[in-house]
Amino acid sequence: MFKKFSSEDVSSQNQVKASVQRKIRQSIADEYPGLEPVLDDLLPKKSPLIVVKCQNHLNLVMVNNVPLFFNVRDGPYMPTLRLLHQYPDIMKKLQVDRGAIKFVLSGANIMCPGLTSPGGALDDDALAETPVAIMAEGKKHALAIGFTKMSAKDIRAINKGIGVDNMHYLNDGLWKMERLE
Amino acid sequence: MAEKPQPVRVLYCPVCSLPAEYCEFGPDFEKCKPWLIENAPELYPDLLKDRNNKQVDKVSEQLQSVGISSGGGDVAATVIPSGGTSTSKQEEVKRLPGGKIKKKEKQEIIIEKIVRNKRKCVTVVKGLDLFGIKLSDASKKLGKKFATGASVVKGPTEKEQIDVQGDIAYDIMEFITETWPDVPETAIYFIEDGRKVAAA
Repeated sequence: MFKKFSSEDVSSQNQVKASVQRKIRQSIADEYPGLEPVLDDLLPKKSPLIVVKCQNHLNLVMVNNVPLFFNVRDGPYMPTLRLLHQYPDIMKKLQVDRGAIKFVLSGANIMCPGLTSPGGALDDDALAETPVAIMAEGKKHALAIGFTKMSAKDIRAINKGIGVDNMHYLNDGLWKMERLE
Repeated sequence: MAEKPQPVRVLYCPVCSLPAEYCEFGPDFEKCKPWLIENAPELYPDLLKDRNNKQVDKVSEQLQSVGISSGGGDVAATVIPSGGTSTSKQEEVKRLPGGKIKKKEKQEIIIEKIVRNKRKCVTVVKGLDLFGIKLSDASKKLGKKFATGASVVKGPTEKEQIDVQGDIAYDIMEFITETWPDVPETAIYFIEDGRKVAAA
């Protein structure tokens, strides 16, 4: 999704109303309970929350010019990788085998066999249509953020085709955008 | 979770911006290597081994070329800088993400006359930037020479071009070759009736 993404794709950025700000906070807190204790540090109540609207119904949530979360249309908010690296345990983790790393890093969606093979690992609680962190065999940090297409059980059972959509991966456009203006 | 989970500090490579452990999958592993050896040797034990081997090779080469078996202190002094430079030499070919080699754009200047309002026209100059000419400087010079407005405009497909007011198509060639001697006359083309015509 962010394969080609730069500041030119930004169509508008606004400081949002307090009520919208509350709503965003609430949905992030619901989605990532593990993040709740630090949420005040990440999204300080005082400093303005900026929502950046981009092409393709993409929204970025930005504090102090650092993009922290993104979502598509009205979908769930997902942390950027830099944020996820700091708090790795907030999301369900799926692990791909070593052979898949280079494809994922060039933007490919995650196929089921890469998750079920010996190098992969699945969190059985992962449901369909939820954001997950994509880890890699032998690596400590996440390499992508995905949006599951099937539940972990289905991935195991079907073992074919796309299991997780690749939303955001290392060295894509959003990764390179460490700060925005 | 009563306590605040502390943010994890991740080691990012300053060369490719990825976390150090993903450098090997990054766009330019070769360039990252010197930094990795310095800062994250535990992630890539192979690199260290490689380097040590190289150093051994170098030492023996030096010994052979000089023909004198010098003392241990001398060898150490000569080896240390060589380890850093050996990796940085190989670049040259620019690679696009995806492994394709970037095509070099053909260096040519295209001059086009666009008629507007029936009797007024604009001369468009494309491709000056390919010769390493600063477009803003060039537009200023053109404007001064022909006493008209000249501006740098973003043309189609993100290319920048210079628009000069008035019909200066024939004088401009002489002017270009005079002011920028590295531009060969053969690289200048006019567009007439939609066809490319060499100026020379």
